[in-house]
Amino acid sequence: MALSRVRAMPTASGAGLRLPHLTDVVATRPSAAWFEIHPENFLTNPHAAELLVDIARDYLISVHSVGVSIGSASGIDRLHLARVQALIDQIDPIFVSGHLAWSTHAGEYLNDLLPMPYTRETLRIVSAHVDEVQDALGREYLVENPSSYVGFSTSTMTEVEFLSELVHRTGCRLLCDVSNIYLSAHNLGSDRDRYIADLPADAIAELHLGGFTPEPEEGGGEVLIDTHGSRIAEPVWAFYSRALKRFGPKPTLIEWDNDVPALDVILAETARADAVSQSTFAPKPSHALAS
Amino acid sequence: MLSLLEIQHRIRDAVIADDAAGPLLPLLAGGRDPAARLAIHRHHYQASLTRALLDKFPAVSWLAGEHFATAAAQAFVRAHPPAVPCIAEYGADYPAFLASRAGAERLPYMRALAELEWHVGKVSIAVDRAPLTVESLASIDASELPDRHLTLQSGLRYCTAEWPIDDLIKQYLSDAAPERYAFSAADVQLEIRGARGEFRIERLAEAEFVFRSAVAGGVTIGTAAERALDINATFDPGQALLRLISAGLVIAIDKPETDA
Repeated sequence: MALSRVRAMPTASGAGLRLPHLTDVVATRPSAAWFEIHPENFLTNPHAAELLVDIARDYLISVHSVGVSIGSASGIDRLHLARVQALIDQIDPIFVSGHLAWSTHAGEYLNDLLPMPYTRETLRIVSAHVDEVQDALGREYLVENPSSYVGFSTSTMTEVEFLSELVHRTGCRLLCDVSNIYLSAHNLGSDRDRYIADLPADAIAELHLGGFTPEPEEGGGEVLIDTHGSRIAEPVWAFYSRALKRFGPKPTLIEWDNDVPALDVILAETARADAVSQSTFAPKPSHALAS
Repeated sequence: MLSLLEIQHRIRDAVIADDAAGPLLPLLAGGRDPAARLAIHRHHYQASLTRALLDKFPAVSWLAGEHFATAAAQAFVRAHPPAVPCIAEYGADYPAFLASRAGAERLPYMRALAELEWHVGKVSIAVDRAPLTVESLASIDASELPDRHLTLQSGLRYCTAEWPIDDLIKQYLSDAAPERYAFSAADVQLEIRGARGEFRIERLAEAEFVFRSAVAGGVTIGTAAERALDINATFDPGQALLRLISAGLVIAIDKPETDA
């Protein structure tokens, strides 16, 4: 299925809207192209939901769920999905997205985005869940590539092959987390440039950038932890520019979920993302050669 | 070959129960030690939910100390994973769990304090609605009132305790650290009211508490009044109703379907 309710989304960068900034945004209406929220922060917080509805009157909102868990072999949480739908009905977001991961298992929520092998069985399960989510929401669902620390020797396809087939089977679109590609390639020793070269660019609706934290590993080297608790690392900005060249201009979100700073700091990162995008696509000066 | 369900069950055990990845290990890849990589998820599960509980019950840490509170939260997280993705709902059973921990016997009021914190957290994120006015009662025949139900503000909770935990939480909130603080057992009936980031705790007389908590529990005004009169024969239900409405706590008066 391919349900399309995608409205015009600016290619300017947006900011993750977290609970500490809600009252500030309501009071000051900062200059921001759009915000992305985690519905799980609002579903059981009536005050926060009230502020969000107010904010949604003036800003485009993207809804990014961390709890739908399309990778759960024990099934998705339909009650949670219904609650997300109820919030969506109130704020009419521009995008709704989630992760290629699982976080619930047999009635338990593991509060993390957990890895899974990329096999035909996993593809069948995830495709069925994406179909179910899109049917329930009545709109396209954006699936985000995960940050990975560990893979599976039993995988029979690469992550890009898995995502491409998922798009083909379900008509879903992709949320490409550029930082996750960078981080996963570092952690698992894969080729990040090959990843963006092979990803179906037409399916990409949104990009993510987030900070990570290097941690030393026993035996040497370091693993990059997807903490979303710092500025975007310098090498990721260069990689982001290469991704833009491949995908074209896309709305890009700055994620900052831990040690959340003042909103101005996050908005400064969105401004930098916009500057990188502008310089990536700026016409190159031509030199008149004397003959 | 393990099915996806079996793999996820084993990852679940490795993340929550700290079980060795066991038969999972040959399937994992990444880094020099894939088991250590999987442990990153275990650490995140433990650390994020422990932090959530400590943030939700700060007065418990103040009362029992960081060491006790952190160890209790870590044990709770292992024993009681969340059931839903909204972490704001996580921890309703934590006060009872706290009371079962070794060392909790020296603080017999800790569970009640934690329950009060839970209620405060809930009412603080509520949204209040326009309350009924006393004048709106004029449109209702007085003889019908006993059969009516009241709908109260959503940010309203009633609880009892065998210790004056309202005083204790005020000590915590005032950041007071008196050298000596006499704390004696005493029954208290508390009304916790809040909305939009604010809250207030009030101690009620027993009959007033019984009346208000019964109304909040869904019984008719008449039944609530009878329960209060059982406590105190001089209780005046009419005045109690007026006080409830005047306090802005009632948002609707409904006709009864059935009595609870």
